[in-house]
Amino acid sequence: MTELPRASFNERAPARAAVAEGDGIAVPLRAGAERAGDHVFWWRLASIAIVCGAWEIAGRIPINYAFPSFFETALAFGRMIADGSLPKAYVSTLQPLLLGIAISAGLGIGLGILMGLRRTAEWFGAPVFIVLQSAPVAALIPLITFVYGIGLTSKTLAVIALALPVIVLNSYKAVRNVNPSLVAMARSFLASRWQQILRIILPDASPLIFAGLRLGIAAGFIGVVLAELLITPTGIGDLITYHRSVADYAEMYAVIVSIILFSAVTLSVLQKLEIVLFRPEQREAGA
Amino acid sequence: MQGLLKRAVRLGAAAALAVAMAAPVAAEAAEGKIHVALGDVPSIETLNLLIAVERAKERGLDIQVTPFKSEDVAAQAVVGGQADVGVGTPYAMIQKVKAPIRLFYQMSNLRFFPVVDASVYKDWKDLNGKEVVVHSRGSGTEAIMKMMAQRNGIEYGSISYVPGSEVRAGAMLQGNIKATVVDAANRRLLEEKAPGKFAVLPMENVNATDEALFANTEFLEREADAVTVLAEELMKTWREINANPAVAAELRKKYNLLPDLPADEEGEIVAYYTESAESKAFPEDGGNPGAVKADFEFYAVSGQLEGDPASLKVEDFWTFEVAERARKNLGQ
Repeated sequence: MTELPRASFNERAPARAAVAEGDGIAVPLRAGAERAGDHVFWWRLASIAIVCGAWEIAGRIPINYAFPSFFETALAFGRMIADGSLPKAYVSTLQPLLLGIAISAGLGIGLGILMGLRRTAEWFGAPVFIVLQSAPVAALIPLITFVYGIGLTSKTLAVIALALPVIVLNSYKAVRNVNPSLVAMARSFLASRWQQILRIILPDASPLIFAGLRLGIAAGFIGVVLAELLITPTGIGDLITYHRSVADYAEMYAVIVSIILFSAVTLSVLQKLEIVLFRPEQREAGA
Repeated sequence: MQGLLKRAVRLGAAAALAVAMAAPVAAEAAEGKIHVALGDVPSIETLNLLIAVERAKERGLDIQVTPFKSEDVAAQAVVGGQADVGVGTPYAMIQKVKAPIRLFYQMSNLRFFPVVDASVYKDWKDLNGKEVVVHSRGSGTEAIMKMMAQRNGIEYGSISYVPGSEVRAGAMLQGNIKATVVDAANRRLLEEKAPGKFAVLPMENVNATDEALFANTEFLEREADAVTVLAEELMKTWREINANPAVAAELRKKYNLLPDLPADEEGEIVAYYTESAESKAFPEDGGNPGAVKADFEFYAVSGQLEGDPASLKVEDFWTFEVAERARKNLGQ
């Protein structure tokens, strides 16, 4: 009865084994991949250098008195690390961010899968999340403060308001768009509903669910910065507002760039982690 | 082939970014025109400025007033050249950014009131080691509280930030906070809603500019005549309102200003200007070096200005030429 799902796992097993065993099989493949990787690495470096160079030039012209050059910004970044204000701000910003993302991920994936599997849940949930996703949430944040005040709850809710809809809708679409022939096959092998869900539907849906998770986390970053700028200035938002109000523009830009980089690095680490943990086939192809 | 295409796309994107970052903001340069950048939405507190603007328009000036979200953004608009005259006190910007910006007309003095829950605190000494709530880091409200702490030899337990006088007043009424600093309108609100529950702590000799006009030095030279006309109208309006605050409400009707103001707030206009006139919130001379020295001291405490206040030079921040010309033309 459970023959087939097992077969599907067995199919993946060799790939996993190759990864686990390591170099024996992968070396020739990797050598080629590494050459290509080197190439990409230099291009990326060049692209970063061009952007930073353009920034430096723009800062030196200057295009605006309030626009610092790249080096001034980098120095300001160093100063803020040294005096501890930036690390402290991140500790404070990460609280609503992590809390909001954890809630959104758990709740969002659960709800999304439920909506994908059950029509009643879909009718109930889909309109709400579609509206929420298309709504300009920044305009709704002041409303949150009327109900929940100006503390951590409001900021966490702002993160959830931005992250949850994306995660829910992606999980829901992922489950809804599972290859029907796989499901039909599972049925013809007399798989139970749970077996269908755990062994066919979820594995097939997981790439899209992960993509939704990444988009959700990116939205969560937007949410937390918006909340800190619009509700009460704390953490990163406080540093941005404060340094702007005392005209320390280099510091202000350093904070803004740092949160962008932090978000970008977090997302790419997540993607790597996903490939390593869950997508052995892509690891081979895309390394 | 595909690789080439990718490279081309990447290079193109990089080039586009470089161009976008390097493209200078086009500066407007129209004659006889003044574009004023307000740091806040027009309200009762900016009514006197709006009246003066209407009167300057009657004298043939083409003045456009644009409200911005905050004073910082308004100041940026002036530095970037999208606006000619800004409203606010951009001392930090003038000092740190080295932009050719000068303040040229002092419109109002900072007027905030340290308010405490009378059942908990009686005077400044009681606030030693206690929490006080102010608007934001580096704000005037924070500077007031810090300055008074210095003078009374006390140190607060902590300073919390809650933006908005009305929000802090609401929190005082609910009892969530016990000591804060609010503006005139919200002090009145506290006294009306809970008479006797709150006490205003004494605050002597804290003088600082709240709102002033500033502009590019190049603009001040090019549009000297237009700016002088505006300054004259400001001075006339200020003197008129100080002599008879009720005029503010009449002139609002005459020029149809703040048309969306709710009827029940109309009475506030006269109350606000009466109180402001009594406490000399609206200077009649457009600014003087003594006031600027006081500003240096105040804004050094707030963190806006760096360095020893005594070493700062007035001429690096202010030009009094416009106000002097206006005073001369008005015959005083």
